Amino acid sequence: MSEALHFAEHTLQEATLVIMAIVYTSRLVWLFRRFKAGKERQGPTGAPNTTPRKGFLYSWAIIGMPWVMESSRTKPIMYGTFVIFHLGVVLAIAESFIIPYGASMLAANPWLATLIQVSTGAACAVGVFRIIRRVSDSNMRAISSPDDYFSLVLLTVWFAFASLSAPNQGVPEWVLLTYFWMTAFFLLYVPFSKISHYLYYPITRYYLGKSLGNRGVYPIVPSAPGYGESTAK
Amino acid sequence: MSTQVRSYKANKVLERLTKKVNRQIAGTMLACVHCGQCTDSCHYVQTNPGDHTFVPAWKADRVRKLFKRHMDWTGRVIPWWVKAGSVYTDEELEELKDIVFGKCTNCRRCTLNCPMGVDFATMNRMARGLLVSVGIMPEGVAVVSKDQWEIGNQMGVLKEDYLDTLEWMEEELRSDLDDPTVEIPVDKEDCEVVYTINPREAKYDPRTISDAAKIFHVAGENWTMPSEGWDMTNFGLFSGDDDLGGAVARRVYEAVVRLRGKKLVISECGHGYRSTRCEGPNWGGVDLPFEAESSVLTMLRYIKEGRIKVDPSKNDFSVTFHDSCNNARSCGLFEEPRELLNLVTSDFREMYPNRAENYCCTGGGGAMSMSEYAPMRLKSAKVKADQLAATGAEYVVTSCHNCVDGLNDLIKHYKLPMKVTQLVNLVADALVIEPAKASVVVEKKPEAAPAVDETPTVAAALPLEGRKILVIDDEPDIRTFLSTVLEDNGASVLTAGNGDEGMEKARAERPDLITLDLNMPGRDGGQIYSAIRADEDLKDIPVVIITGKPELRKLIYDKDVRRPEGYLDKPVKEDTLLTNVRKVLEVGADDVN
Ligand code: SF4
Ligand code: SF4
Repeated sequence: MSEALHFAEHTLQEATLVIMAIVYTSRLVWLFRRFKAGKERQGPTGAPNTTPRKGFLYSWAIIGMPWVMESSRTKPIMYGTFVIFHLGVVLAIAESFIIPYGASMLAANPWLATLIQVSTGAACAVGVFRIIRRVSDSNMRAISSPDDYFSLVLLTVWFAFASLSAPNQGVPEWVLLTYFWMTAFFLLYVPFSKISHYLYYPITRYYLGKSLGNRGVYPIVPSAPGYGESTAK
Repeated sequence: MSTQVRSYKANKVLERLTKKVNRQIAGTMLACVHCGQCTDSCHYVQTNPGDHTFVPAWKADRVRKLFKRHMDWTGRVIPWWVKAGSVYTDEELEELKDIVFGKCTNCRRCTLNCPMGVDFATMNRMARGLLVSVGIMPEGVAVVSKDQWEIGNQMGVLKEDYLDTLEWMEEELRSDLDDPTVEIPVDKEDCEVVYTINPREAKYDPRTISDAAKIFHVAGENWTMPSEGWDMTNFGLFSGDDDLGGAVARRVYEAVVRLRGKKLVISECGHGYRSTRCEGPNWGGVDLPFEAESSVLTMLRYIKEGRIKVDPSKNDFSVTFHDSCNNARSCGLFEEPRELLNLVTSDFREMYPNRAENYCCTGGGGAMSMSEYAPMRLKSAKVKADQLAATGAEYVVTSCHNCVDGLNDLIKHYKLPMKVTQLVNLVADALVIEPAKASVVVEKKPEAAPAVDETPTVAAALPLEGRKILVIDDEPDIRTFLSTVLEDNGASVLTAGNGDEGMEKARAERPDLITLDLNMPGRDGGQIYSAIRADEDLKDIPVVIITGKPELRKLIYDKDVRRPEGYLDKPVKEDTLLTNVRKVLEVGADDVN
C-alpha cells in the first residue's frame, strides 16, 4: 500500500470523523439549547390505543411502513429507490471502515464485496435516476437548491467509487484514493448540507409523533374500511 | 449580509421569527430534503398542475429561507447555496401573505405525507402569526380577529342577540316537544355539562342549538350554556396569533370554572374543537381543571348509556361523511362520528380517501373569511367535489361548521345534487321520544310484582321493585355501593366477585339486568360479555357496563356482538346509575341498538 493510500484510508478518515463528530455535537447542542421544545398541555384525545409513546414509536417506524403513508403507498417505485439509495449509503460507509480495518473480512468473504458492490452500484443507478428526476420535473426544479443538486451528484459519484472499490484487492489505487478522499470530503460536508437530515429525522418525527399520539392520530389504523382508497385523482 | 434598507415591518417579522421558532418548528425548518414526496398530497397542487407555487415544499421554503438566512449556519455564510434569503420590503411581506394565507388551508395533509415529519402546516401558521403581528393579513382575517378580540366571538354576535336566540330556540323546542318545562338553561351553576357553540349557530343555524338542547333534554342531562365565553371557535388558530388564541380559549375555560361545570362540551366544529380541546391550553398557558369533549362523543355516549333512544330509519336517505382536517388529522376523531352515524342513519357510504387521508373541504384555515382568494379556493375544491360526487350520497355529514360552509360553497359551485348536514341534526331527527319518566315508571311496573299502594309517589319511590339485578364486579366497595343503591330502589340484587361466579349466578337466577365491570381478575369483562351474548338463555338479558377504565371499551366495542344496553364510567353517581338502569329496563335490549 502506498503512503498516500495509507494516509487516505487511516489518518484522513480518522481526522475527518473527529471533525464531523465535533460539528455534529455542536449542531445538536445548538438545536437543543437555542430552541426550547414547545410545551404540550392538552389532555389526550382519540382512541385508547393512541398514546404519546406509541405515537413517537410509530412515527419513528413510519419509514419502514410504506403502506401507512399515502405518499409511499401510492408510489412504490419511489419507495423502492429510497430503500436502495439509503442501503447504498449504509454499505458505502461500512466499506470505508471495512477496507482499512477489516480487509481480511473482504478477502475471506467474497460475497461481502459482491453485496457492497451490487448495493452501491444500484444506489448509484438510483442516484442517476434521481438527478434526472430533479432536473426534468418542474416542481422538483422549483424546490431544489444548489446544495440539493451537489449533494445528489456527490453521493452518486461516491456510490460509483464505492462500488468499484469494494473488492479492495486488485482495485487500481487511484480508484481507492478517489473513494477515500471523497469519503473524507463527504464527512466534512455533510453537517453543512441537507445530507445531515438523518440527524433531524428522529427529532422531527419524535415531536410530531408524540403530539399526534397524544391526540389520537398516531398510530394510524390503515385497515379501517376504505382507508387510503382514492377516487379523487 | 446585504446593506439594503429593511422596512420597519420586515425588521419586526425577522425579530419575532427568531423568538417564535421552537424546537419542533426548528426541526421542520431543518429537516426538509426537498424530496417532493408531499407534493401530490396537496389539493392545490392537484388542481393546478404545472404551477410550482402551490407545491408544499416551495411554499414552505418562502418561510424557511428566512430561518436559513438569519438563524442557520450554512445559510448565513453562503445563502445562495441553500436558497436562504431575507425580506426587506412590505411588498415582499404582502407576497408572503398571499402564499401563507391564500395558497394553504393548513390542512396538514402534506404533514402526514412527509417521510421526514416536516410539519409545514404548523410552520405556515407561525408565518401567518408573524405577518399578523405587523398588521399584514387578508382583510377578512383582520375583521374576524377584531370581533373576537372586542366582542368576544368571531361573528360579532352581541350578547343580547345570543341570549334572544337561545330564548327563541327554547320556545321552539317547547312547542316542538309540546312540553312547557323544556329549558335552554343559561349560567346555571354546578352542571354536569357546559355547552359551548360556534357563533355561526347563533347567527345562521340556530337549529343546531335547539337540536342539541333537545338531545340534552331527552338524555336528562344537567346542562347549561354560558352567557359569556360561549364561543368555542378561535380565530387564533387561523391567524397564527397565539395571544388571541390564548385569550379566546381562556374566556371559555373561565366560563366553565365560573359556573363550576364538570365538563366542557364543544359543539361540532373542527377548528373550535382543536383550539379549545387541544391547542388552547398551550396558547393560554393553562391546565384545564375540568374535562372537555366534542359533542360527538357526548351524543354517542348518551346512546350507549341508553339515555337517548334513536331510530336510524328516521334518517333513511343516503349519507357520506367528511372528516374535518382539524378533527381528524389533528385530533384523532375518526371512528366516533362514524359509529354515531351508523346508529342514526340507515344508508351510510364511506368517502374515499377518508379519515387522516381525507381532503380538506378547501374552506379550512380561515379560507372562508378571505374573499380575495375565493376563485383559487373554488378551483382547488374540484378534488373535494370529485370525492363527494363519487359517493352518490344525498347528504354529506360533517362535524364542523367551517366545513359546512366550505362544502356548501363547492356544492353550489360544482352543481352537485347534495346537501350538507351535521350529526347533531341527524341525532335529533332520529330521537325516539318517550313519555315522561314518572308515568313510564308506573306503567312499567311488572305484573308479577306484589300489589302496592298505587299512588305514583310510592311507585316512584321504589321504581325497581320486582326487578332482579346481578352486579358483577371484583371490587367489594363497588359491589356494596351498587347493591345498596339498587336495593334502596326496590330491586333484589345478587352479586358476584368475578366473571365465572357471575356467569353461574346469571344461569341460575336469570336476572332482569346485569351490571358488568370490565377490569376483573380471571376472565375479563369483555370475555364474560361475549359469553353472555353467546348463551342462548342469557343473551337477551340487558347488560350495563360499569368501568373505571374507559380504554377497555375496546374489549366490548371491538367485538362483533350486540352492543351493551348501557355504559357508565366509574365513579358512578347514584342518580346516573338509577337513570340508566331504569331506562334500560324500560326500553328493553333490542330497542337500544
Ligand atoms: S416536506 Fe417532507 S415530503 Fe415534502 S419535500 Fe420536504 S422532506 Fe420531502
Ligand atoms: S397544509 Fe394542506 S393546503 Fe397547506 S400545503 Fe399542505 S396539503 Fe396543501
